[in-house]
Amino acid sequence: MQSPGSHKQGGTRMTDARRLMLLGRIWTRRALILGLRVWRLVVTALRHLRPGLRYLWKSLLRRWRRSLEFRTVMMTIVLSVVSFAVVGAYLSNQIANNLFQERLTQAESESRYYVKQVQDTFDGAQVNDQSSVITLVYDTLNAVEGNGSVIQRRYVFEALPEQNKPRNRWVESRASDQLTVRVIPSELRKAVQESGKEQYWASTEFPVGNQDHPGIAVGNKVTFNGTVYELYLLYDLENAQQTLDQIQNVLWAGGAALIIMIGGIAWYVTRNVVSPVSHAAVVSEKLAAGQLQERMVVKGEDEVARLGASFNHMAASLQEQITQLATLSQMQQRFVSDVSHELRTPLTTVRMAAEVLFDARENFDPINRRSAELLYNQVERFQSLLSDLLEISRFDAGAAVLEAEPQDIFQVIGQVIEGAAPVAEEYGSELRLTSRNKSIIVEMDSRRIDRILRNLVLNAVEHGEGKPVHISVAANHEAVAVTVRDHGIGMTPAEAARVFDRFWRADPARARTTGGSGLGLSIAAEDTKLHNGWLQAWGQKGAGSNFRLTLPLKKGGTIVKSPLHLEPHDLRLPGTAADRHVLLVDPQESPADDGGASTAAGSPESDASEGPDAREAGEAGRA
Amino acid sequence: MKARILVVDDDEALAEMIGIVLRNDGFDPVFCADGGQALDVFRSSRPDLVLLDLMLPGSDGIEVCRQIRGESDVPIVMLTAKSDTSDVVRGLESGADDYVPKPFKPAELVARVRARLRPGEQKAPETLRIADVTIDVAGHMVTRGGERISLTPLEFDLLVALARKPWQVFTRELLLEQVWGYRHAADTRLVNVHVQRLRSKIERDPEAPEVVLTVRGVGYKAGS
Repeated sequence: MQSPGSHKQGGTRMTDARRLMLLGRIWTRRALILGLRVWRLVVTALRHLRPGLRYLWKSLLRRWRRSLEFRTVMMTIVLSVVSFAVVGAYLSNQIANNLFQERLTQAESESRYYVKQVQDTFDGAQVNDQSSVITLVYDTLNAVEGNGSVIQRRYVFEALPEQNKPRNRWVESRASDQLTVRVIPSELRKAVQESGKEQYWASTEFPVGNQDHPGIAVGNKVTFNGTVYELYLLYDLENAQQTLDQIQNVLWAGGAALIIMIGGIAWYVTRNVVSPVSHAAVVSEKLAAGQLQERMVVKGEDEVARLGASFNHMAASLQEQITQLATLSQMQQRFVSDVSHELRTPLTTVRMAAEVLFDARENFDPINRRSAELLYNQVERFQSLLSDLLEISRFDAGAAVLEAEPQDIFQVIGQVIEGAAPVAEEYGSELRLTSRNKSIIVEMDSRRIDRILRNLVLNAVEHGEGKPVHISVAANHEAVAVTVRDHGIGMTPAEAARVFDRFWRADPARARTTGGSGLGLSIAAEDTKLHNGWLQAWGQKGAGSNFRLTLPLKKGGTIVKSPLHLEPHDLRLPGTAADRHVLLVDPQESPADDGGASTAAGSPESDASEGPDAREAGEAGRA
Repeated sequence: MKARILVVDDDEALAEMIGIVLRNDGFDPVFCADGGQALDVFRSSRPDLVLLDLMLPGSDGIEVCRQIRGESDVPIVMLTAKSDTSDVVRGLESGADDYVPKPFKPAELVARVRARLRPGEQKAPETLRIADVTIDVAGHMVTRGGERISLTPLEFDLLVALARKPWQVFTRELLLEQVWGYRHAADTRLVNVHVQRLRSKIERDPEAPEVVLTVRGVGYKAGS
């Protein structure tokens, strides 16, 4: 490409090229740095915005999950956007097609007419000199352009390439202003060049003024003076495009307005439908919380009103049932109270009379003396049975109230031990109290706790066969536990699971000699339940039994873990446990607790937990 | 002299039996079977102690208790078949000093009666103070700021027991033993109710007591 003459200038070009390369490199570097900075800015912004975005996203998700209204409105909007997009695309496509087809038909028929005119003009021309040929061609073509008329045409006139060039061919190509043959798509040109007399068309773009307009190019062949020319007529579609744009704008605006309106309508309708539902939800929540007089507002006769009416009906029957139950419970309490009074007054008289007779028995003959003794003892037994029965029925009627006050559990235990001491002496048992603590304040109904512990201690003494009874106390941060351990005849795990059942006796033959109502442990279990505590039993034939009472330190608290083990530790040690203290288990040291799985008396699980207890006892037996 | 005891009970058999027991123990029982007439009988017989059944025809035992307490400080012991807390507390709040739950033993009843009739052992002239309350033990008089406060004998005994040992915290059981004369553990609700009643009389603000203080988890003590 370089001619030898320009050698001298080659050097400067080289330096120019080098400088250009250098500049290019510098600019590349700069662009790179700028890009990095922009990237970093974007990353930082995202990082800063992320919590906010995440919060926004989460709150939207939450609304989506929780609000039927929000969900419905969002769904409606999304679906209408999609359907509008489909319909809008179809409409605008149809309109555009129609517009185009119309213009195309017009363009094709016009082209045919004008091409024919041009061909006729060329055919009939009698010109031989160059200037008149050029003038003829130009004039003809200018006439085609139709300046000033409504429909503007442009043309491109080009001699067909690769043909013999006759001498008298003075016109090679000609086109309207700004146009060249390049605006004609090559496919169209090829089709025109290769065809016979057919007319072809193609869409194209060509410059008008300083912008490109869409248009249609219609191509034909014309012959002049033995030269074949391609004649393309170009029709401007700018107007059609503008019309289409306007229509599309209208579609966009209308769609947006409609979607907003549909969103609003959806919101309004959903609100109308959902608000009774959410009202029903609020009302049923209140009902569930115990406000039985709550009702829904019923308006009209539609489905929502029917829902409200049936809801109210349900609430009313619920209220009726509950009130009825409450009344029944009250009646039961009243009955218990009345029976209590009605039975107790004559019983008091009988008891006093029996005691007077009993005190005077020394003066009676043997038959009357024995009768007086029997009367006295059985009246005593009758009395304890009656009071236990009344106590149990009070629990059943839900009339038992917990009167919890903070009190030192050792004070109660002290009283129990003091009270049980004479009985223990009678049986030859020793009562031993073991604890690391000096004082544990528990929120409890001391009257009930006293009753529970008295029952446990007296039971232990009765079944302890004269061996020592160990009472252990320990606390952790949430609960206090008292275990009462005897080393007497013991009981099987199956029996241990049933000791809290009413009137249940391990050995029916023993019942008559030991006495008691058979309700003591059931009452203890109910008392424990009232405290939200655990009362559990462990036993093994021949190894004695262990009862554990666990109470939450605070009223209404829950127990996760009892501070003491239910299965006594002394069992694992060899030798008899007769005179060994019960080992205290520190809650921090205990490897595993059996609390949750054992017989929680008075609670529904008590039967289900027979398994673990039995297994425990079995393992202990092997050890 | 025999102590006269008014037995207010609608159950004739029980009243008669109580009479037998009381007479046997050297008391002089007077009977009334109707709550409506209890006050009249009380006025005419001037008893040293009233045994009162809580459930009476005519007028409620609690109402009778209130009427008698309205005009006299005589000790009242309730006989109650209901050991439900609310009934016991209601009885105690209406002015009864003690109660015996049915069915009771004769010895129990007599012990309760004797404890309430304890002859006021000759008290040495002694003046005690708790906070701004002055107690004249011999004169059986309590004043605050020169103003006399009327207390029942039981409330007085309770206050004196606390005031004599202001350094000591009294458990409810100890108070039951010292003031009520129970030798074995009994119902500590007696103490609670009477402390409330005492406070309502001697404290400026029973909600924020200054004279009889509660020691959480233990019991009560005198204020300083």
